[in-house]
This record gives sequence, C-alpha cells and structure tokens, in this order.
Amino acid sequence: MQEPVKKKKIKVTRAVNGVEQEVEIEVDDVAGPEWGPNDKHAILNKHITRVDAPLKACGIAEYSYDKRLPGMLYGRILRSPHAHARVTRLDISAAEKIPGVRAIVIVPGEKVVEGAKKASEEADKKNPTEVGGKDIKPEREPGKVVRFEGEPVAAVAATTPEIAKDAIRAIRVEYEKLPHVVKAEEAVKPDAPKVLAEGNIEPRSKRGDQAKTTAAFAECDAVVEADYRTPIIHHSSLETHGIVVDYRGGDSATIYASTQGTFTIPDESAKELGLAQSKVTAIVEHMGGGFGSKFGIGVEGKLACMLAKQVKAPVKMMLTREDEFLMAGNRSGSWQTLKIGAKKDGTIIAFHAAQRALGGLGRGSQAGQPYSPYAGKIANAYNEIVAVKTNEDASRAMRAPGHPQASFAIESIIDELAYKIGMDPLEFRIKNLKDEVYHRQLNRAAKEIGWERRNRTPGAGSGPRKRGMGCAVGTWGGGGNKECVVDVTIARDGAVTVAVGSQDLGTGTRTYTRAIVAEEFGLQVKDIVERIGDSRLGKANASGGSTTAASLAPSVKDAAYNARNMMAERVAPLLGVKAADVTFANGKVAGGGKSLTWKQACVALPSAGLAARGQWRPNLQATGVHGACFAEVEVDVETGFVQPIKMVQVQDVGLPLNRLALESQINGGMIQSLGMALWEGRVTDNQLGVMLNPGFGDYKMPGTLEMPEMIALIDDGDTRPAVIGVGESAIIPSLGAVVNAVHNACGVRVRELPITPDKILMGLYTEARTA
Amino acid sequence: MKAFEWSNPTNITEAVKLLQTAAQGADPDEAPRPMAGGQDLLTTNKHYITRPTRIVNLKGIRGLDRIEGNAKRGLKIGALATLTQIEENEEVRRSFPGLAEAALSVATPQIRNLGTIGGNLCQRPRCWYYRLEDVICLKKGGSQCYAATGENKYNAILGGGPSFIVHPSDLAPILLALNASVAVTGPSGNRQIALEKFFTLPSEGNLRRENVLQNGEVITEIQVPSSRMAARSTYLKFKERSSLDFALSAVAAAVEVGTDGVVKQARIVLGGVAPVPWRAPEAEAFLTGKKLDANILAEAAKLALRGAQPLEKNAYKVPLTQTLVRRALAKVGNVATA
Repeated sequence: MQEPVKKKKIKVTRAVNGVEQEVEIEVDDVAGPEWGPNDKHAILNKHITRVDAPLKACGIAEYSYDKRLPGMLYGRILRSPHAHARVTRLDISAAEKIPGVRAIVIVPGEKVVEGAKKASEEADKKNPTEVGGKDIKPEREPGKVVRFEGEPVAAVAATTPEIAKDAIRAIRVEYEKLPHVVKAEEAVKPDAPKVLAEGNIEPRSKRGDQAKTTAAFAECDAVVEADYRTPIIHHSSLETHGIVVDYRGGDSATIYASTQGTFTIPDESAKELGLAQSKVTAIVEHMGGGFGSKFGIGVEGKLACMLAKQVKAPVKMMLTREDEFLMAGNRSGSWQTLKIGAKKDGTIIAFHAAQRALGGLGRGSQAGQPYSPYAGKIANAYNEIVAVKTNEDASRAMRAPGHPQASFAIESIIDELAYKIGMDPLEFRIKNLKDEVYHRQLNRAAKEIGWERRNRTPGAGSGPRKRGMGCAVGTWGGGGNKECVVDVTIARDGAVTVAVGSQDLGTGTRTYTRAIVAEEFGLQVKDIVERIGDSRLGKANASGGSTTAASLAPSVKDAAYNARNMMAERVAPLLGVKAADVTFANGKVAGGGKSLTWKQACVALPSAGLAARGQWRPNLQATGVHGACFAEVEVDVETGFVQPIKMVQVQDVGLPLNRLALESQINGGMIQSLGMALWEGRVTDNQLGVMLNPGFGDYKMPGTLEMPEMIALIDDGDTRPAVIGVGESAIIPSLGAVVNAVHNACGVRVRELPITPDKILMGLYTEARTA
Repeated sequence: MKAFEWSNPTNITEAVKLLQTAAQGADPDEAPRPMAGGQDLLTTNKHYITRPTRIVNLKGIRGLDRIEGNAKRGLKIGALATLTQIEENEEVRRSFPGLAEAALSVATPQIRNLGTIGGNLCQRPRCWYYRLEDVICLKKGGSQCYAATGENKYNAILGGGPSFIVHPSDLAPILLALNASVAVTGPSGNRQIALEKFFTLPSEGNLRRENVLQNGEVITEIQVPSSRMAARSTYLKFKERSSLDFALSAVAAAVEVGTDGVVKQARIVLGGVAPVPWRAPEAEAFLTGKKLDANILAEAAKLALRGAQPLEKNAYKVPLTQTLVRRALAKVGNVATA
C-alpha cells in the first residue's frame, strides 16, 4: 500500500484589496526546490536587463492597441454627458445611414419606468430598423437611467475610427436630467439627491471601543484633530482599456486584450459571443499598464463582443483617453477625520478615526486607521469607515487600494503631533512603530538623505526658497496563491522554453521567468525563451494584490527543478555518476570530474526532448513587507512652488528576483506617489456634475522636470529566501514623506491633496493673519 | 472632428479669398479658419469647440516664417515663424531676451517646433469649461460663465466679467511690453494693429472672440520696434508643472535705466490673470524717475495688482503675481534681492 503524502499546515497572509487576512493552508510535506541563501545566486538577485526592453524601445512590441486584423472594424462608445439623467429617446436612424457604419448596439440598462418601457416596445414594433444584418430597435431603452457622466449608452462599429466617432455623434439621445451630487461634502447632507435608492452613505466597518478611546483623550498631553482629504485619482495607464475581438462567425474567437488577467478574458467574452469558453483564446503579448483597473473584459469588452457578434467581423474597441478618465474606474478619494493623542514622552495612547471612502458609485477602498504599521501599539483606537456615494464612475482597485490614502492621513497627523510635543518626527515614529524592521529602514534612509540637515523649525531659514524633509512608512502583503501551472521544456538541440499563460503588466514577469530557469540550469537569461500571455498555456492568476511574482515564481522554480532532475537522470550515465551528483553551473553539466556543455548534455535527451511541469510551492514565497521613504523638497514661499529635490525609499522584499526591476518598481512608486502628492486629482463641477479635467493637459501628471534625485534601496537585511511581491508596497510611503517635507520646508500643513501652489500661498496667508 | 474642406493657397491674397468664399457657418465657431502650426486649432476642432467649414493652410505660403531685423531696426517676424525659431534666434536672444524667454516657456519642445508666433497670439482660452464640448458657456454662445461661481482656480482676477477667461498666450504679454504690432491682411486690404489695441475684453468686445480680427483676416507679420527697453526685457512665467503647463500667472517687464540708475521708462504686462494681456500703467508710471530698490519693487508690485477682484478660488494669484512683478523688475533692473 502506498504511503499517503504527509501534509503540513502553514500560515500565509493574503491581501485582498488592501485587507490582509491570515489563512492557514495545507501543503505537501515533501522535499522540493528551495531558493537557497539570497546572496548565493548566479543570475537572480542581480541587475538583469528587461528581456522585452529592446522590443519596447524600438516600437516592435505589439500591444492590443496596435492590432490590425484583416476586415477589422473600429468600435466607439457613446457616453452620457450627464451625471444623472433618464434616457427618454434614443434614435440611431441618422447614425446607421452613415456609410461605413456596420453595427450599433445600445447598452442594456435598467428600466425604471414601466410606462416608458411599454411605449418603447410599441415603438419598436412599429419601427424596426435593419443594421448590420440584424434587427436593431431604434428606441430600445427609454427609461434607462444613467448615474454618472461617462456611463456608456451605445456603441458603434465602423470601418474607420473617424466614421465610428461620427456615428456615435449622430445617435440622438434625449435625456431628462435628474438631480445629481458629485461632491462628498454635498452628498452627506440629509437633503442631498439620492445617488442610489439605499442612500448616499454606506456603512462599511467599525472597529475598536469608541467610548474607551474618547475617554483616553483626557489622559493625553497633546491632541491633534483634523480632516484630511484626497481626491479621486486616475490610473492613467499609457495603453487605454480595450480589447480586439477576432470573431468572424463560427464557433471560436481570439481576443487580444489589454488586461491584468489573461484568464479573466475567455470566460466573459465567450458568454457575450455565445461560444464555449474553451473555444475562446485570450492573447496578452504586451500590455501598457493597468495599476489595478484592468480585470475582465469590462463594459467596453462586452460592447466589442456584441458588435463583433452582430456583424461577424473583428472589432477593435480601445478606449479614448477621455473615455479612460470618465468610464474606466479610478482610485477612490478619501475624507478622513482623525484625532490623535499622546503622552509627553511621545507614546500615542488614543486614536479616533471617521473615514469616508469616496468611490463615486463604488464602495471605494480605504485601509482602516490607525494604518497597519502603527496599529496594535496604540492602547485605545477606534475607527469607522463609510462609503460616500456620488454620481461618478465607480472606483476600482488601484496600486495598493486604500493604502496611500490611509498612509497620507496618518503620517500627516503623526507629524503634526510630533511637532506639537516637540519631538523629532523620526524619533517619534520609531517610538510608536513596534516592528523593528521599520526602525532599520527608517534609520538607513535617514542616513542616506541626511536627516540631520533638516529644518528643525518648519518654515525657518532666510530667503524665499526653503528646504524641508519628511518621512513615512508603509506595508503590504504580497504573498502568492496556488494558481500557476508552468511548463518547462528542453529540446534535444538545447533550446529551453518556459511557458505559462500569465501576463506581464510591465513588472518584469518575462524577465524573471527566464532568469529563474537560467539559474536552475546554470545557463544565461538569453539561453531561455519564455512564452506568456496566452490562455492556451498553463493557468495563472490575475495580477492583483502584488500576487503575481509570489504565485508564479515558485511554480517556475518547481518546473525548472523538476526538469533539471529529469535531465540529471538522463545525463548521469554519461558522466558515470548518480543523478543526485550531477551539477548545473556556468553553462556546464558536470559530475565525477567530467563536464559536458549544455548542448552536449542535451544530446542525451530523447528526440522529443523533455517536458516538466511545476506547481506552486508555498515555501518558496512569503508575505508581509515594509517600506520607508524620505523626501526633501524646496518650497518657494513667495509663489507656493514645490520642487522635489531628493527621495530615498527603502523596501524589503525577501529574495529580490531582479534588482534592476525592483529598483525601477520602487522608483515608479515614488513617481506615482509624487504625482498624487503635488499635482494629480479629479476636479468636478458641482453645478454641472461633470469632470473638468479629463485629459493629460489638465489632469497634471508629473513630467521629467518634476523628477527629484531618486534613490531606491533594497533592504537586504531581509534575508527571507522567499519571493514577495512589492509593486503595491512601493507606492505607499512616499506620499506622506513628500507631504511632511513640504510642511517642514514652509511651515504650512496642507491637509487636502494635491498640494498645489494656491494651497500653500493661502496657507501662508492664513498663518500670517493669525500670527 | 467635424469634416472640413482643406485648402492649400500659395499666397496670402489667395488665402484671404479662400477664407472669404467658404461657407461662413451658422455659428461663429463654424467660420472658416486659417491654420499655421495647428497646435491649438486641432485641439479645439477635435473637441468640436470649433467646427470650421474650411481650413486654409498657411504653410504653403512662402516667406511667412522669416525673422528679420536687429536691435537697431527692430524685428519683423513672419506669423509662421515657429516658437523654436524665435527662442533659438541669436538676435532675438541678444537684443530682445524677454521674447526668447517667452517662446521657450511655451508647452514642450514638440509643440514649440510646430507652434507659431501668429497662432500663439490667436490661441483660444484654456478655461476648463470652455474646453468641454458639452458645456455651452458664454464664450460659446451660452448664457452663463460657469467659472464665475464654479471651479475658478485658474481664472481671471483682473478685467473679468461677464466671462472670466484668462488669455493663454505667453508671447502676447512680452510683445505688448515691447510695443509690438501685427500686420493683418483681410478682405479689405492690409492693416496694422498695435497689440495694445488687438486684444478685447469680454465686457468691451465680441464675447466669442479674444481679439479684433474679423472673419477672413490673417496675421502675416509681427513687428517689434527698436526700443531702449528691449535689451532689458524679461518674461517670468509661473507654472504649477514645469514640464508642460500654461501660466497661472506671468509677468513681462521691460525697463530703460539711465546711467544714473534712474528708470527712464518701464513696461509691465501681466499674463494668465486677465482675459487680455494686462498692462499695469500705474505701476509703470510709479517706476519712472525712480531708482529701483526692494521697496520700490514691492510698491510697484502692489500697484500692478491694484483693482484685482479675485473669485472664490483664485485669491492666491494676487500675492503670486506680485512676487513675479518684483522678481521680473529685479531682474531687468539688476536689483539684488534677498
């Protein structure tokens, strides 16, 4: 009788939309691959040039946006110009007459007025119209209520993008405007227009003892209470959302998608196309960023499928930049009312928080207060979180959902409190951060930026241009899941291929996938070919929650390990040693004093070569990372202009698969955070209910001239030989660091992001008046 | 964008005729348009803010992009000279430094390579509300200036009402400070317009335009007279985002200072704060006959902003612009500042 495989239980932390949960899972207790010490790798944990860099730099890499298929049509979406309205008439007769228009679909919507519905059905009977070979009813959806500016109403497929645009403009829609609300301050008023029938305030969570916390403030020597606000932020991926549906009738289709989840595509598109899921292939060769906004086919994908199905021709539906701002999700804003109190010695003993997540029609994401690095050590804490609804596009996940908002607010108020009790903000943090990893990281970054040079008194110094420094910390999970199936094949001619359906959303998946196999075989990165981004290959998880590397890398390692063992079995007889004694290093397969080149060794393989499969191994990954950021800025107190001077960010990561990619990821986190701190934010008009800056001219992202000197430091003090994802962790601490640096420089505490010159000047003015 | 006729004249007479003979459209925003670099026109067209029946391409007309002259004779700049040409021109840099600075301050290198001086003067407003197709504001024939009570952080603090746009041109303030004029060709021949009289306030002119040009008129040349102030001219532009932005506020300043250090004449023109480039005559008069020092600069800055009436969200523009006035004057007057 075969002995059952022994099992062991291990604990892993999972972060879903910023909420970490510790779960116990059962795994096989068998020998298997291990990474070995982090400093003993030949390829990994080095600076590896991105394998797709030449393709991208030369414009050869083909994105979904670049796809041009024979007979392909271009899709375009008609959006609602109103924040809240009822469609009373929708007439496509003029649009369908435009030469080149091949199909029109109307977005199915809720029908809230029965009378209108009946009237429309009667109108339909009287007046069916022929478009694209199918009956399209020109007034199919009167009664549909649109609830945000940008809500799709109809879509068109035409032979050119220009014709498609003309066609959506030719669709006549009449709206009955309904009362809207687009500002949280308005939405919370009792007489505010109702965004949803349930009301505008959705309770989400309550934690802690409110009465005890409130009482604890009496024990405090210093208390700070303030509101902190962050606006809605846009993902601003360079490639917009969208898919190309290659369907020409028949029973199968191929979908080229700009997505974070190759395997989120076939099922949803198959449903829309009326095909079997197995007959739909998703291809994600290269994709231009998602930051959490690209899972599934989305409404644009649904419309593309509907159009393609109607005309039996390929349809490309890539959003325009304006579509992207108005209907492709966003990072929820926040409005956080915080109160914090400490003893004279700097011990925080009370923290009260009322947080509002501002996710438009969505629930928003909001990490609770006190934000996790500080949680657990504060004796009395209470927080409640509600979602405040407005007539705006629903929020989606965005790089560390809810964390930058929480980090900005707590790091601001902690800074305020530190100054109030007269303690060095760095010392004050170290006193109140339990986890010593933060102490190590803070001290290292402080040394790097020269914390001792900082302004002791905010705003002090002569001349209009004043420098200041600030710091902050962040945390994330970043562990993996058992979701990836990886195949490694070795051909008899020595070619090595690693294949998995996973996508590279810009984080360097292609590169580390190769590197892990190269490391295992003693080869170079260039000796390996990776195949990814194809749903016909081994299954992989969607890239969310920084889970890709920790899910995929262990599976790749396992596949390579298995392939290596199989290879060793084959080569061992040639070397006259046991398989266990065969070594793979420096392009050589060796043992017993003999050595073969890789190619020579591969001759020992059968003519079909060999193939090995790998599964996720929990011991090869871990979860839980820390980060600390310091920023130095220069503020011109006569103009309010902020020039970032230098940023230093330290990040632990377990085993850094590719130091270059990791440093880039940390740099990217700093840049994106800097954007949120100083320039970016959705601006809406209260009266009109519309977004005023839906384009890169007016939604101001930082450019080259805004960049400070950036130092990305990998914390090698973390020696865990395990892979952890840190894409999200990297964006969290820099926001608070920049905001605190601005205050340290000029003495003005701006509590509403972005910190633009007007806010600094008005802050200085108010200060001067009250002084 | 809306379909339009495209025409390629080879001389200015033909261009004017093409503008004149095209369908004029039912709305002023449908009128035929001349196009130079197209950097603004294409964006307004793309958003259907302008929907010209015909676009008359001026780039096929030879000789419209020359920069001629020098400090003694003054400058003649063809309307199609690009901003890059201006910023790189040795004579402009040496003798009219403020003009070179203004050209360099515009947008990005790519846009400066295509954008022209004529087009820069004729740019349409950047106001958020104006730029949204579905918002029919005063400037587009509607009945309300939404910025007046809405999100008006970037709007006018001087000369506003009933519309509160600010003029977006970076070259207009410095050219006005240098007493420049434009040569215009139109259906009724040529005319010369001093820049001082070129721009119109919403309260005094056609709300649908920002200048006195008539349909069918084309700027052919910008003339900058020789002046004792030109060599001491500067353009200080304040942007929220250095990489690419319009002015939240800007100051063009030029002075003539005698050997005794006394100001003989001064020009101060503000940008980004009014619907037109805003001259500050009180401050100019105050400076004349004075030796510049920090106190004089501060007083001049106050006078330059006298009468400012900020809206709800743009009061910051007052101290900001005062700072720019002081700094610009300090630069042209060689006054040491703290």
